[in-house]
Amino acid sequence: MSDVQNTLRDRVRSLLAEGKISCFIGWGPTRFKDRTIPKFANKPEDAGELVYNEHCLSNLAKYALDFQFSAEVAGIAVRGCESRAINRLIADGRLTRSKLYLVGIPCEGMLENGSTAEKCAFCRHRNPVVYDELIGEPVAEQENPPRFEQVLELESASSEDRYDFWQREFAKCIRCYACRNACPACNCMECYTEQYRTGWQGKQANTLENSVFGFTRAYHIGDRCIECGECERVCPMGIPLMKLNRKLVKDVESLFGSEESGLSDDASHALGCYDKEDLEEFM
Amino acid sequence: MARTGVIICHCGSNIASVVDVERVALAAGQMPGVTYAATNKYTCSISGQDMIKQAIAEHELDRLVIASCTPRMHETTFRKMLTKTSINPYMLEIANIREQCSWVHTDKEKATEKAIDLVHMAVAKVLKDQPLFTSSIPVHKKCLVVGGGIAGIQAALDVAEAGYEVTLVEREPSIGGKMVMLDKTFPTLDCSACISTPKMAEAGAHPNIRLMTSCEISAVTGYIGNFQVTIRQKPRYVNHDTCTGCGLCEEKCPTKVTNLFDQSLSKRKAIYKLFPQAVPAKPVIDSEHCTMLKSGKCGLCSKLCPLGCINFEDQEDFITETFGAIVLATGYDLIDWAKAYPEYGGGKYANVISGLQFERLVNASGPTEGHIQRPGDGAEPKTVVIVKCVGSRDPAKAKAYCSRACCMYAAKHAHQILEKIEGSKVYVFYIDVRTPGKGYEEFYDKTRADGAVYIRGRVSKIYEEGGKLICKGEDTLIGKQVAVEADMVVLETAMEPAHGSTETAATAGVSADKDGWLTEAHPKLRPVETQTAGVYLCGTAQGPKDIPDTVAQASAAAAKVLGLLAKDELETSPMISVVDAPKCSGCGFCEQVCPVKAISMVDVPSMYNGKRVTRTVAQVNSGLCSGCGACSAACRTGCIDLLGFTNKQILEEVDALWQE
Repeated sequence: MSDVQNTLRDRVRSLLAEGKISCFIGWGPTRFKDRTIPKFANKPEDAGELVYNEHCLSNLAKYALDFQFSAEVAGIAVRGCESRAINRLIADGRLTRSKLYLVGIPCEGMLENGSTAEKCAFCRHRNPVVYDELIGEPVAEQENPPRFEQVLELESASSEDRYDFWQREFAKCIRCYACRNACPACNCMECYTEQYRTGWQGKQANTLENSVFGFTRAYHIGDRCIECGECERVCPMGIPLMKLNRKLVKDVESLFGSEESGLSDDASHALGCYDKEDLEEFM
Repeated sequence: MARTGVIICHCGSNIASVVDVERVALAAGQMPGVTYAATNKYTCSISGQDMIKQAIAEHELDRLVIASCTPRMHETTFRKMLTKTSINPYMLEIANIREQCSWVHTDKEKATEKAIDLVHMAVAKVLKDQPLFTSSIPVHKKCLVVGGGIAGIQAALDVAEAGYEVTLVEREPSIGGKMVMLDKTFPTLDCSACISTPKMAEAGAHPNIRLMTSCEISAVTGYIGNFQVTIRQKPRYVNHDTCTGCGLCEEKCPTKVTNLFDQSLSKRKAIYKLFPQAVPAKPVIDSEHCTMLKSGKCGLCSKLCPLGCINFEDQEDFITETFGAIVLATGYDLIDWAKAYPEYGGGKYANVISGLQFERLVNASGPTEGHIQRPGDGAEPKTVVIVKCVGSRDPAKAKAYCSRACCMYAAKHAHQILEKIEGSKVYVFYIDVRTPGKGYEEFYDKTRADGAVYIRGRVSKIYEEGGKLICKGEDTLIGKQVAVEADMVVLETAMEPAHGSTETAATAGVSADKDGWLTEAHPKLRPVETQTAGVYLCGTAQGPKDIPDTVAQASAAAAKVLGLLAKDELETSPMISVVDAPKCSGCGFCEQVCPVKAISMVDVPSMYNGKRVTRTVAQVNSGLCSGCGACSAACRTGCIDLLGFTNKQILEEVDALWQE
């Protein structure tokens, strides 16, 4: 991995020096050995501070939004999850592909507290699906990660039990919106939760309003979730949000036969287009 | 403070017999914002309306709730009434306590409670109503007619006669459609071509009609009064501006091709006029069969043409024009019986023919010059079996519907055979004989008197034996199996929508039913209108019908078009979507879900972190928006709202329902 880090630093240094990019979004060190933070390299000499190791947990894609109106090209490190997030943001009209320079890094999974991160255990795309250059060789994808294992478990419970389960989970929510801020599919300029007096979403942190928030967010990203698992990872209260998101992903896939979100920057998504072959059982 | 007036309508006894209207009025009087609540026997009547006007003036009302029938019935009536008062016509809510309450309930107590709830919701919503104002859009006084059969020709002539410009688009090289293929028309037996070709010629020469043959509709955008239609002109390889239609090219062309106009019963040339009386009377080249176009050899027509009209380099062309109204007259085809009925030989017996093939055989301008000769050997058939309902009234094999015209044209065919072939016998297998129409039953009676034998039953099998076609079936009236030895069999096949017609209609925003017939706006009361305002339909595009019905419907569609084109401007509904642009992220989800393509993404100047930037946001075309609200439901940020049905108004209704 130190090879990747060195190559990354070299490449970013020359990209910045050549003026190909105005800034590079990667990871940087912290005072803890097993933690990294997003790092913005603006000058060639900053490149030496970039870090790439098994602790690069953050999905960087959303930071690219800082450059959405910039006239210059921004560089960003993309693994499978970042690349799909970038596609998502392009499809949602928030980023322009030509204004991005994607440095692809195949990823073999990250560590969280000493073992494989939860979000990486379910990963189906360790290699970036889109990039301008690739550092290192493509890695083998995980064979059949248990993507819907938790969903199946949830589906087997009675509706009362499921209701109680989510009421318990959302009772913990403190409405910090970290999940929304980290989520590449939650990319509205102004989230409905920020609006006053919508009439149906209260700002109070109580079980009722929290669940309205939780379920609404899940529906808003239902056909667009790229399953990067950032929402669940950043949740300070440990709410198993991916269980809910994957349930909707599973439903959308089985009902509309759509492919995983973020594999391309095609803007058509299951709930936004009409196809004569769509199921019409409810009509 | 709001001053709401609430009127509870008895609707005679329609509502009052189930709902205790007085109790509803009493309850309404207690609702927030309500200044005045009363009942009325017939609110929509002149006296009912006068009572409301009086109440508005007397109680200084500023908004109104009417609890009555569905808003589809009288919302417009009441809005019109409000234009004569101090209240804005859109400060009105209708609580539907008839269709959604009294008509569907019998329990008076519960129905009354429900009526109170419905009124409560409307009262809550009306408090959030905002005055809305209509705007107007100009009407482009030009009509497009799609399909040049008798329906399209009639509609085009009627509109053109009234003084408006018409473009008549036909995909074949000539107008005329199916009617010119027919020999005689029932029940009067006047020659089909003799009555339709003058109409074709009239349409071709009319100063207000522009014929566009070999053309198809490729795209329709815009809205009522202002449709932008892209028409694809297929290459004709003959310059129709200079061609005089002398026919030399056709005469000398060495390539012979199956003539589909004659239902494959004859041959035509690769450069051809569709039929002798074609309008325009000029040839086109069939690119599929022309050897010059296929292999670069020949070019005889080009060498012979005295005016140099042949152009082998001709390309397809796209023409975009604006029309105020569109008439769809896309017509029908006959079902492919050979596929659906292998038991009738599936097409392997030359002497089992379709009704339309028979029309060509018996037609003086057809391949046999009107002599009824078997396609197999040219012999005159002495015994002919006519099979009705081939493909119709047969849901197991083909179509469930009755094809309507077949009973009569079967009788006509029987009559023609008996008349033209001395000593001939005709057996007609039928399920029922349906002859509603002026002179139809009399015609059928006459055919039987002429000697046609009607056998009630379906034909189960047709096979060849000893040079004869054996038609086996059951005579259900005597309950016995019968077999008829025939020289020729005529299958009276069902109509189905013309190929490609549903796609053409979809381009213009018109839907089709499960069989592909185009859907009218209302089967009884709006038979020639469609759900897309400004698009009309007529003829067999809408369903199987005979020529009189087709022509009547075509003139009806023309009348609707004239009603539209007579206006200089159209009022647009103000109940449309609006975008709160600063909130919009420009994700384009609304654009995708909009069924009428009213939303487009536009670049607007904006501020971001204190800097001037350009960003993309959604924009609604108020002329196109139909107010369906799909965009509003799809918007995650909630930055699109539907005026008249804003999120706030709907929430108020929901809240009212849950309040005690």
